[in-house]
Amino acid sequence: MPSNQKQILLLGIGNDILGDDAVGLVAARTLRTEFQGTIDVVEAAMGGLQLMELLEGYHKVLILDAIYTTEHPLGTILELSIDDFKCTVAIAPHFVSLPESIQLAEELGIPFPEEIRILAMEIEDPYELREGLSPSVEQALPAMISRARMIVQRMLTV
Amino acid sequence: MSESNKKHISIDPITRLEGHGKIDIFLNDDGDVENCYVLIPELRGFEQFCVGRPVEEMPRITTRLCGVCPEAHHMASAKACDAVYHVEPPSAGRKLRELLYNVFFSGDHALHFYALGGPDFVVGPDAPAAERNILGVIGKVGVEIGKKVIQHRAHHSAIMELLGGKKIHQVTSIPGGVSKGLTEEERKGVEARIVEMVEFGKFTIKVFDDIVLKNKAYVDLITSDAYSMKIHSMGLVDEKNRVNFYEGKVRVVDCDGKEFVKYSPKEYLDNIAEHVEPWSYLKFPFLKKIGWKGFTEGNESSIYWATPLSRLNAADGMATPLAQAEYEKMYATLGGKPVHATLATHWARVIELLYAAERALELIRDPEITSPNFRTIPKEIPTEGVGIVEAPRGTLTHHYVTDERGILTKVNLIVGTTNNYAPIAMSVKKAAKGLIKKGVNVSDGILNKIEMAFRAYDPCFGCATHTLPGEMPLVVKIHDASGEVIQEIKR
Repeated sequence: MPSNQKQILLLGIGNDILGDDAVGLVAARTLRTEFQGTIDVVEAAMGGLQLMELLEGYHKVLILDAIYTTEHPLGTILELSIDDFKCTVAIAPHFVSLPESIQLAEELGIPFPEEIRILAMEIEDPYELREGLSPSVEQALPAMISRARMIVQRMLTV
Repeated sequence: MSESNKKHISIDPITRLEGHGKIDIFLNDDGDVENCYVLIPELRGFEQFCVGRPVEEMPRITTRLCGVCPEAHHMASAKACDAVYHVEPPSAGRKLRELLYNVFFSGDHALHFYALGGPDFVVGPDAPAAERNILGVIGKVGVEIGKKVIQHRAHHSAIMELLGGKKIHQVTSIPGGVSKGLTEEERKGVEARIVEMVEFGKFTIKVFDDIVLKNKAYVDLITSDAYSMKIHSMGLVDEKNRVNFYEGKVRVVDCDGKEFVKYSPKEYLDNIAEHVEPWSYLKFPFLKKIGWKGFTEGNESSIYWATPLSRLNAADGMATPLAQAEYEKMYATLGGKPVHATLATHWARVIELLYAAERALELIRDPEITSPNFRTIPKEIPTEGVGIVEAPRGTLTHHYVTDERGILTKVNLIVGTTNNYAPIAMSVKKAAKGLIKKGVNVSDGILNKIEMAFRAYDPCFGCATHTLPGEMPLVVKIHDASGEVIQEIKR
């Protein structure tokens, strides 16, 4: 497991057998070599409180993920912050949301990142069992990687 | 729409239909509940997705089915692979698997109690929705307890990573055993963590006792008719008919607690069949020897549940001392065995949490746990096999058929929640009928109490391992006598 002594975490989240849901994983994997030795790069398929455990101790985090809103064209890359989400009542433990996790960390005094940015790509179908990305997501992937690179570079300098 | 037709209650914050939970409540002309339908999504097509793959990949692939209980699929799959290859793991390999599995169970049950089921009791079923979550629980019980929960989770995650190879989506259970053992140094570290997990189990029992059992209103809620379900109970038991999550035979008892059947994994198709309803794309498992008799209760019904409560009902006791004492207390309090109070599932869950930690402590202190003999290399031609474990949410069955090269030709999975489709639908309907009546304002609190019937089963959607923006996909719609939606609530 990567060391928390590095200040920045690049976290790709997704399920690699749910087709385009894996876009965050692929993007993080592509950037791993480029940022080796300077930041931690993790690919993960977890959420809720497990996500909180992963983020604990980092100064800044960039999360790469897929999103399904039907409100944007496929391949649109959204840059989000925690303020863009709200807490919700969870019906299953893994749906303890990221905002809840952050608030929980604050209340319990767990060291949590002071900056969390999220790059999420609009995908078409997060439920299709498939390996590999669709052509439209493959086409949009370089733009996501490029934006992620810029954000990480900014995090490294500021 | 006339005033008399205004019986619409729609609960729908989510517009997507695919892969989401839906509850549809239909009212009659009198404003009482006529019928209720519950649709729980599952990841369709997974069995087909796996055909053509090498069977030994399945313990890794099937963990992707679920981000909540990948360990359960990993373990059931490994056991199915053992059967496919006709190989028996050596004793140390079985114990290492069971150790991982009980640590998982302890962590998973704790997460459910404090983050999901617990809020209904700790914060209260009528509390505002925004408070019915883990934050609300910590607000009520205090930061120190919150820290204990997080520490328990940390122990769980660390042990999962050590024994399973990864914190989530474990990889170490393979055909014939496991891929890595434990050094004595590692064993000592794990033992220290599990000792704390046992203490946490005892602590959680006390929390449940203080907050739930000493509150008469909650006890009345638990034992109320709206939340009763008289059906057969299923659970995995050892050779002494005690609860075991990892191995044994599947035992089913009837509504009076009498053994109906006890079968080994390879006999599951002789005992379980699936019924199809036109209003759902899901199938409803039932007891084959009785035959489908509809959504009914009683000994004549073939419907069963597979939950923490049903596991305790189906067993004659717990295999560890502290959990056994709590088991006896629960049945003494609730009037004997079997218990048919759906909400008592939460009580059974915390007893199982304690058992899992105690059992894990026994295993980590077993001299064989550091043995280097943890795997038997398979040598037989692969054919067909069934692996069954208890998932936190119910009995989990993996059935694989392969060709002579070990390439899958057929896969059948009955996941924990699948067993409970029929009882969940019946429980929600019963709660709705008991709570929604003419003249009663259908408030958020009322609807939450209906959801409590659903949440007691801890249903696992198992589709995705995460979501953004973190909203739970559940749609509850209430229809008037003409079928029109009159109220929608979304989560």
